[in-house]
Amino acid sequence: MIRTVKKGLPHVVLLGYLCVILFPFLFVLFSSVKKDNNSIALNPFGIPQELVWNNYVEAWVNAKISTYFFNSLYISILASVVSILIASMFAFAVTRMRHGKWNTILFSLMLLGMLIPNNALMLPIYIIVSKLHILDTHLALIIPYIANAIPFTAIILAAFMRSLPSEIEEAAVMDGLKAPGIFAKIIVPLTVPAMVTVFIVNFLGNWNEFLLANYFLKDDELRTLPVGMVQFRDQYQMNYAQMSAGIVYSVLPVVVIYAILQEKIIEGVTAGSVKG
Amino acid sequence: MNKALRNPLVFILFVIPALVLFLMFFIYPIFSSLYYSLTSWNGVSETVKYTGFDNYTKALGDERFWVSVKNNGWFILFSIFIQVPLIVFFSLLIANVKKLKGLYKTAVFMPSIMSTAVIGILWGFIYEPNIGLFNNILGLFGIEPVYWLSDERFAMLSILITNAWQWTGFYIVMVLAAILAIPSELEEAAAIDGATGFQRATRITLPLIVPIISVVIMLSIAGAMKAADIVIVMTKGGPAGSTEVMATYMIKYAITNFKYGYGNTIAVLIFVFTLVVTVLYQLLFARRSERIEY
Repeated sequence: MIRTVKKGLPHVVLLGYLCVILFPFLFVLFSSVKKDNNSIALNPFGIPQELVWNNYVEAWVNAKISTYFFNSLYISILASVVSILIASMFAFAVTRMRHGKWNTILFSLMLLGMLIPNNALMLPIYIIVSKLHILDTHLALIIPYIANAIPFTAIILAAFMRSLPSEIEEAAVMDGLKAPGIFAKIIVPLTVPAMVTVFIVNFLGNWNEFLLANYFLKDDELRTLPVGMVQFRDQYQMNYAQMSAGIVYSVLPVVVIYAILQEKIIEGVTAGSVKG
Repeated sequence: MNKALRNPLVFILFVIPALVLFLMFFIYPIFSSLYYSLTSWNGVSETVKYTGFDNYTKALGDERFWVSVKNNGWFILFSIFIQVPLIVFFSLLIANVKKLKGLYKTAVFMPSIMSTAVIGILWGFIYEPNIGLFNNILGLFGIEPVYWLSDERFAMLSILITNAWQWTGFYIVMVLAAILAIPSELEEAAAIDGATGFQRATRITLPLIVPIISVVIMLSIAGAMKAADIVIVMTKGGPAGSTEVMATYMIKYAITNFKYGYGNTIAVLIFVFTLVVTVLYQLLFARRSERIEY
């Protein structure tokens, strides 16, 4: 008897914590199929008797979710891919090419970059972006996102490349490959697992980024999902049922990706922070 | 063999793109911030007027600035004294259960991969005075509605709770990984010596995870100094500026009010304060937590 209580107690506490995490999501999910604020107020916790799917239709149109969604998607993917390309070239040069002290100096520079609190750099970046005349275009986000991810990406990829045995490229050199060929044909294919991890981390970071996206773009058509959602909230503050549908739209893709790739995501995100 | 990998031209071409972006978006901004922090530039005009340390004296003499510093302080204190104990407690619990370990880990981690903006919106709804979740629950006990985000007494606390809700699970997973990396012989030996589960947790596991707890605290400090989007989304710094943090104070002046020079002064101060807090923490507490080898 005491044994079962002892074994069960941690689960009770943990399930309690689980409820604290999951209940807000359920609350929003249930609210999203209720008719209006009044029916949320009358029956806050339960599933409504009749499900109102109209909120989803209205939110999709009113909140322009489709526009924001695809803006976010292409900005995040493009910026992550280019960061990985640039950072992997850098990582290849400093780990596999023989340039003695330059390798160390350049690599330490990237480590330094991990220590810089990037929020505080927002204002100078704003000026750089406006001097490049790309303010209020998607490049205003894409270029800073690419740059911002480079130190982390380069460090993780360099650590991975360093662990590859040097016999690999000795054989490749024998076969007559030059450095770019070794990079593209030998090292990149071998580094794909690490690239997937950093891609996920960079993608999530860009997908969720709010500050730059909020202040560097004014045109409504260009906005990304987080900013669009905040603006939608401010406009339809009074219609909580519709707003809940909007939240579901923006949370759902992340939850689905997380359900499929949770191990990779957890590994990547925590690795990123410890290295930082 | 070495010739192919010693080609300096290829080396330069490979490092240049990363280097240029790095210098442009990390190194140059630091010096640019330092420079403009000494001017009264508005961000647009052709002429830049040098004003010495005027901005600094102004910032350090501004009561509102200190309110924002204090709020960053609340973020740090809340994470160290409320979140860290919870993180350790829950990680120990998850590490010691046999079933459902994976489920707990996956579920508690989930909020940390979501957009802070969307989390802010979601929690804004939960705090809504009339139909929100919190007041509904309190209503069951007959407690009058609380205006969580528009009452100065509760606004900051509400933000801190939301922030903790989002990030606690993230740190739990980090600490959990450290606990699971401890060789099981240590626990087994203690169990043979007759240590209870509680004793094993406090005498064996806890001392061994001190280094990772130290990392968690460092990350919390860094996160606390950067906090901005959650405040912007939930309260916009209000009511009456009571939830302003340094980063939102900086944005308010530099971008909304065109006081670019002054904004950069705040950016430099954020840098300096982050450095001071980190160094203080390292000197006072982190010395003992050197690396543990098994």
